[in-house]
Amino acid sequence: MTPSSTTKPLDTETSSEEVAKLPTKRSLFLTGRQGAERRFVFGMVTPMVLYMAVFSVLPIIWALALSFFDYSARRTGGPILGLGGENPFVGVENFQKMADFSQEAPLEVRQFHLSLRTTLLFAFLVVPLNLAITLPLASLIESVHQRMRPVFRNLFFLPVLTSAVGVAIMWGFILSPQRGLLNALISKVLGETTIIAWTSDPSLTVLGIPVSLFAVLIAYLWQDLGYNLIIFIAALQGVPQSVKEAALIDGAKPWHLFRHVTIPLLRPTIMLASVLTMISAFQVFDLFQVMTRGGPNDQTRALSLDIYESAFRFQRMGWAAAVSVVLFLIVLVLSLVQSRLLRSDWEY
Amino acid sequence: MRKTNRSMWAVTTLALAMVAAACSGSSSSSDSASDGGGSESGSNASGEASGDISGNIRVWTHQNDAFNSGLQDLATAFEGENPGVTIEFETFDYDTYIQTLQTSLPAGTEADVLQVFGSWTCSYADNLATVPEDVLTKAKAEELFFGAAIDGYTCGDSLYGMPQEFNIEYGATLINEAMAEEAGIDPAAGWADWDAFIADAAKMSIGGQGDMTRAGYMFTSSDAIPYTFYSMIVQQGGSYLAEDGSAFTIDTPEGKAALEQMVAMVDAGLVDPVLYNDLNNWVGDCFFEETCATGLVGPWVIADYAGDFPEVAEVTSYAALPSMGDDPTFVADSGWGLTVSNGSEVQEAAWAFVEYVTLNEANAIQWNAGAGTLPALKANASGANADALVADFPHFATFLPLLEYGQYVGDLPDRDLIWYDITYERILQVLQGNESITDALANMEREANETIG
Repeated sequence: MTPSSTTKPLDTETSSEEVAKLPTKRSLFLTGRQGAERRFVFGMVTPMVLYMAVFSVLPIIWALALSFFDYSARRTGGPILGLGGENPFVGVENFQKMADFSQEAPLEVRQFHLSLRTTLLFAFLVVPLNLAITLPLASLIESVHQRMRPVFRNLFFLPVLTSAVGVAIMWGFILSPQRGLLNALISKVLGETTIIAWTSDPSLTVLGIPVSLFAVLIAYLWQDLGYNLIIFIAALQGVPQSVKEAALIDGAKPWHLFRHVTIPLLRPTIMLASVLTMISAFQVFDLFQVMTRGGPNDQTRALSLDIYESAFRFQRMGWAAAVSVVLFLIVLVLSLVQSRLLRSDWEY
Repeated sequence: MRKTNRSMWAVTTLALAMVAAACSGSSSSSDSASDGGGSESGSNASGEASGDISGNIRVWTHQNDAFNSGLQDLATAFEGENPGVTIEFETFDYDTYIQTLQTSLPAGTEADVLQVFGSWTCSYADNLATVPEDVLTKAKAEELFFGAAIDGYTCGDSLYGMPQEFNIEYGATLINEAMAEEAGIDPAAGWADWDAFIADAAKMSIGGQGDMTRAGYMFTSSDAIPYTFYSMIVQQGGSYLAEDGSAFTIDTPEGKAALEQMVAMVDAGLVDPVLYNDLNNWVGDCFFEETCATGLVGPWVIADYAGDFPEVAEVTSYAALPSMGDDPTFVADSGWGLTVSNGSEVQEAAWAFVEYVTLNEANAIQWNAGAGTLPALKANASGANADALVADFPHFATFLPLLEYGQYVGDLPDRDLIWYDITYERILQVLQGNESITDALANMEREANETIG
């Protein structure tokens, strides 16, 4: 930007007459081209700031406040926003309850522990699986003929545009025990009727992880991987051709090129994709709600579902707010750690 | 570094938005909510429309076409008889309605007349008006209405509303007559005891645990399990809730016997609880898709499914279930009815309308017939009114004689939590073989008692 008289800093030699000639702050804002620009910017930004303030900042502050109260919308409460009275201030009691890991802990506390475990498990499975599929797939798509690339890109991106509820219903149909496509296929292959309750048998586990959780995970990956795929394709297109050619001249095989050139160059993109995927995995609600409703036996009760049930089904708003604060802190910490671990000190 | 900063912003923004999304609904209320006011009413509330009352009555109901068109007809008739009264309806879809009631009542922004499910009434009682003595006394209400229908509207010694229907989910089971005939069973003959029922139902099952393709008796849905369990307890003369509501008593010999009876049904191959539950093969779906021969659910399900499955509806009937005691006692929620806000400025007119709809036998049965619901008034469960109802809804013939045996579920502190998250979940675990009867009873009792403040 070109410095202008209005932005020129005053030095000690500036005379009092010169100071008097300088436009005031008010005229800086209201007159001239810069004033017009500022009004334009102000006009464009204000609605968004107001929107954020009303629909994001205020609810966050309200949620934070509620987490220190035993609040339920069913009760009348005090005169100020219904806080106090029948909705008493409980300090950090909600958070203290979360630390009760005994068998005698109240039901909502045990459900919170289960939900936390399920959500962490889900998120930590989703991120590596998503990256393990999307990164090589993006590389493969980039290697096909230029004409075919848009076809594959669109094909893989289509599920991202699909409604999550629709995806959940579709996968529910595929995994239905008696009428599902998957069991029909298995029955065909084995030559005998096979009925497996993929989403409702609590005794079905793989390496201690409930199969019902894998069922939701597969549906989620199917829907979500197109997003990262597009990010990686864009990043791959940004990898300098000269670097690749240099590696090939040095005798690098395609795998070596991918492993030692492409992946290191994509580190910032991998960081971005993993952070966004992690956050998104913590937010999943609709797939759990429609496919399993948290069952069987609470094995797929994610934190988002737990918050929803506590807040809107059982009207334990204070408790739900406390759980959402914990969820926020977990996402924040994990995001910070991830960005620190995957930080690159250079860019190409 | 710049990219990292952008990512950090993205992280922070998304995380904040996530918290906001999780919690921003806490203080929401319906956009159609108002201050609950209205013009002043005058005069009496004698039951029969007197013509000298006035005011604008706002009525909130949940969206159910059959329910609301019947109520609208009665409102129009009431307005005709009371020229000074106007009635204005506002309807909400079911989930929104629950949240609207929960948030509007404490805030005092509700309508004058509120349609509520009887079992919710006491949790809203602080903001509801008691029925005036000159409209109906508690003693008279107990005389006129079935106990299961009116008890939910009674909190302590006060009456807070009047029921329009008898909500029934237990006592009789759906049965596919074609499948029964194929298995050589005559449902009309009934069953003397559970052993006889189990023997017949087992004949209609196809496949066993793990490969069942048709359940002989589907009772493992989230309503059927609690209604079965608690009904079996009361049939044996037991009780699961102390009279003063101070404690649950589930871990009892009666509770154990009930649970053992349910396990015996699973062991006999009537149903595979892993394949048949709320997640897969919900009772209405499985019955009308013909993957169960019988299923435990109230008669309302027929209206919901008959249109899509007319062939199955043709061969569908209800058959009374056996009892674990001398009488076919069962537990039931108090069904939908009408209450009046204690903040209403037109209470007299509002009560007159509620009385007109619920206490007038002809009006009440007119609404039951239109809505396809069982009558809450004892007088309408027999005689010409009942015959007319059965002519429209033949399935009601099985239920009408059972209504007198209905027992209100009780003032449960958090009915849905106890019903679905505690009783259904625990008993399903027992039936699936993942928890012992002893542990489940102890855990259910402990968890249910935690809900008592």
